[in-house]
Amino acid sequence: MILVTTDAIPGREIERVIGLVRGNTVRSAPASEDLHAWFENVVGGEIPEYTRLLAQCREQALDRVVADARAKGADAVVALRFVSCEIAEGAAEILAYGTAVKLKG
Amino acid sequence: MSGTERPPSADDLAAMAYVDGELAPVERTAFEARLEREPALVREVAAQQRLAVLARSVAPREPMDLEWRRIESSMEHRVGAPLGWTLLAVGAGGLAAWCAFEVGAAPIGIVPKLLTAAIAAGFLLLLLLALRARSRTKPFDPYDDVLR
Repeated sequence: MILVTTDAIPGREIERVIGLVRGNTVRSAPASEDLHAWFENVVGGEIPEYTRLLAQCREQALDRVVADARAKGADAVVALRFVSCEIAEGAAEILAYGTAVKLKG
Repeated sequence: MSGTERPPSADDLAAMAYVDGELAPVERTAFEARLEREPALVREVAAQQRLAVLARSVAPREPMDLEWRRIESSMEHRVGAPLGWTLLAVGAGGLAAWCAFEVGAAPIGIVPKLLTAAIAAGFLLLLLLALRARSRTKPFDPYDDVLR
């Protein structure tokens, strides 16, 4: 499955547009990591617990985009985008979405 | 994957193909039917998913990562962090026990005491259920090992 943020794939021709595909997830860190992160927030710098949490969200959301695209018979997803928001205290939501397309050849 | 040197079995290859989305629709349906009744195959698929996610997110180590590793392996951190957590746990547990004792001994009616006990029991029950559900899904969560 080709995933790109551009509207086209250089060297490949789009046969038809299948439509929107998306995948989202909401994950939270264990309370112990939240507490540890709170202390790190006090002193500043990177908060590895939250870096990891967002990375996990990103990978899971991407996998769900791919699963959605596969289920619709797509070869690639173009114009891939990520949006994020905080749905609850300490929980992160990431939504990944894009346009599923069928490629020629 | 078991991590041994044995050559991949037919099931290993099928699990890899399933995770990579390389099975034909008919093969995929048959494979998913096997997943319903073969826990070993489910574990194999979970391991393959974990590998796939890791392979995708792998990136060269940055100085910041190395610095964190150095801090975490330092003597103060290894001794101080468990001590800090122990003090916090003992303090929180002790405070909860003291609150329970005070409510029990307080000159109030039985109804407020029962309601307080119901709140505490409900909280504990929900927490235990969430922990149980998480402990069941955690071994099959391929995203747990993603670092950044």
